Parts: sequence; structure tokens; C-alpha cells
Amino acid sequence: MRPEDLKYQQTHEWVKIEGDTATIGITDHAVSHLSDLVFLDLPAAGSSVTMGESFGEIESVKAVSPLISPVSGEVLESNETLSDSLEWLSEEPFGKAWMIKVKLTDTSGDLMDAAAYDAHCTAEG
Amino acid sequence: MAVDGALLAAAQTPTLRLYSWRPHAVSLGYFQSISDFEDLPEDTPLVRRTTGGGAIFHGDELTYSLALQADRLPSDLAASYVLVHDALVRALTTVGVTCVRAREGRVSARPQDRWCFAHPVQGDLMTDRGKLCGSAQRRERGRVLHHGSLVVRRPSQTPFVAAIADQVEPTAKVRRGLHRAVTSELAAALSLRPCQGQLDDHERNLAARLERDVFGADSHIARR
Repeated sequence: MRPEDLKYQQTHEWVKIEGDTATIGITDHAVSHLSDLVFLDLPAAGSSVTMGESFGEIESVKAVSPLISPVSGEVLESNETLSDSLEWLSEEPFGKAWMIKVKLTDTSGDLMDAAAYDAHCTAEG
Repeated sequence: MAVDGALLAAAQTPTLRLYSWRPHAVSLGYFQSISDFEDLPEDTPLVRRTTGGGAIFHGDELTYSLALQADRLPSDLAASYVLVHDALVRALTTVGVTCVRAREGRVSARPQDRWCFAHPVQGDLMTDRGKLCGSAQRRERGRVLHHGSLVVRRPSQTPFVAAIADQVEPTAKVRRGLHRAVTSELAAALSLRPCQGQLDDHERNLAARLERDVFGADSHIARR
């Protein structure tokens, strides 16, 4: 069961919005498709992210993929421990494997709730 | 690299590009640190790929890049490599080169693996002399760039690689035959009919912009 208090986007990032702060990570579906993660590159605190644009990169079994931000704003905090603990992404993708916290200036209107995201994953295979 | 980037972003149809390197150059993997290559001769041209893995010395080789919608390849990453690499095995066979797709070994390379060809992983094309083909993927916005290098003659800079020249003399006829076979075998594997083409204006303009702003910029090459 995916957390119902999160929103999801088609590119398999999740976002938790609390007040004007968004916490962002990638879903269990993304992790299972990527497998054997090798490297993670996240933005530093103080940098800005833009909705629909890449905020970082992840390398898995011989493929590099961008991480797409569901929000715009300033990065308040980056999970610096995660790069050295990529197994967390398999263990707790919605918990300790969060990637960045952002002070919101804008958010996508095209986010899905857990049920819609479940259906999206089923359709995608 | 800029043309490959433009094809990833903008190619309207599945596109295979075959090319070689003048001058010969070293490409770094996206996550590699440039400080690990300070021992290279100062005049070595350096580029940074947007794909991962180890560095490649691009000497006399056939470089291929395939840009297409992700749903034209198996969604499983390893299976997508199998599809492309098995097509390359068949293409190499037509010019008299025998190689196999590695079924054992590590699953993937690490950025600290300095040279791509010194660290074979599952799916790589191997001969009894070593690794003959190294490749990598970038996936974004439902699209895939899969590019790789088939070594024609072994560069002195990376003497551990296998080469086509170990098995056949790479005459102009062999090289032409390999181009044709790579094209036809990859097209067949993807159920496509190959036809020759050129970059369109949008792809050319995008490549020029990527060369100026990304691949030719020190900030990209020395980003790590």
C-alpha cells in the first residue's frame, strides 16, 4: 500500500506537502524498475528547483535517469546520507529515502493520489 | 555527444547514428571525477557523456547511438541491453568476428571503475581478448539513448580492450559491411525498416545549442 497522504507524478516521484514545504522522493515502483542503484546526485540546499525539470540524476543498471521535480522552489535540505545508503531506497522509499525538502513557490496541478498512481503503475507494467 | 543529446531530446522517429571520432578523445562517464584523469596527456581531448559507467578512449572504433521511445525497448533495463547487444553479435558475425554476450559477472559498473573496458559487466560483448563493446543508456521523459563503442583497432592508451582487428583485418569493405549489418540487425530487432537520413533543422539547431551550453562548456566537463 502506498501512503495516501502523498501525491505522485507519472515519472514516479512522490511529494508530501506540509504547509509551504514539499518533501520529494521516488516511489517503490521506480526503485523496482531501476534496481541495483549505483549513484545519486542531488541538489545542494539553497539551489532552486523548477516544476517539470530535473532536480537530480540517478544511475542504475547501466542507465542514467533524471529526477523530475513536481514543484518549484528553493531546496531547504538535501538528504546527504542517502547517496551513501542507496539501499534505503529499496527499504523505505517513502520514509528515510526522501531526497529533498523544498520551500514551495509552485506545485504541479497534475499530481495523482495513491489510487490513481496505483492504476498508472499497473497500466505501465 | 551534442548530436546524441539532440537525438535523445528531439528525434521524431527511432534513430540510429553511426560515427567515429576525429580527433580521438576520451569520454568520461557522467558521474566520474575529472581529477581521476589528471595523468592523461595534456592535449587529450576530453568530453563528458550524459550516460554513466567508466571512461572510454575513443580511437579507431565504430560508435553507435540509438535514440527512440522507451516503449520500443523492453521495459526491463537488462532485457533492453540483451536486445541491442544480441543484434550487435549477429552483425559482427556477418563480418567474421566472434564474440559473446557476458552472462556472468557484476551487474553494473561503478563510477570509480576508471576505464569502461577494463571492467566487464553482465551483457557486455566479450572475446577471448577482453571486452569488445561497451555501452550505456540514458532514459528521460519516456525516451532512451543507448550508445556504445565497438573497438576496431586496439588503442595503445587502453591496451586491455578486445578489437575487431584481433579477428579480421578491418578493411574498408569490412567496415562498410559492419555499418550495414549493425543497421539491418538493430532495425530487425526493433521491427523497423531502416532508411538513411540526415539531422533535421531542429535536431541540428538543438545539437549546436547543446554543444555550446553543455558538452563544450567547462562547467559540464569539469562538473565533478
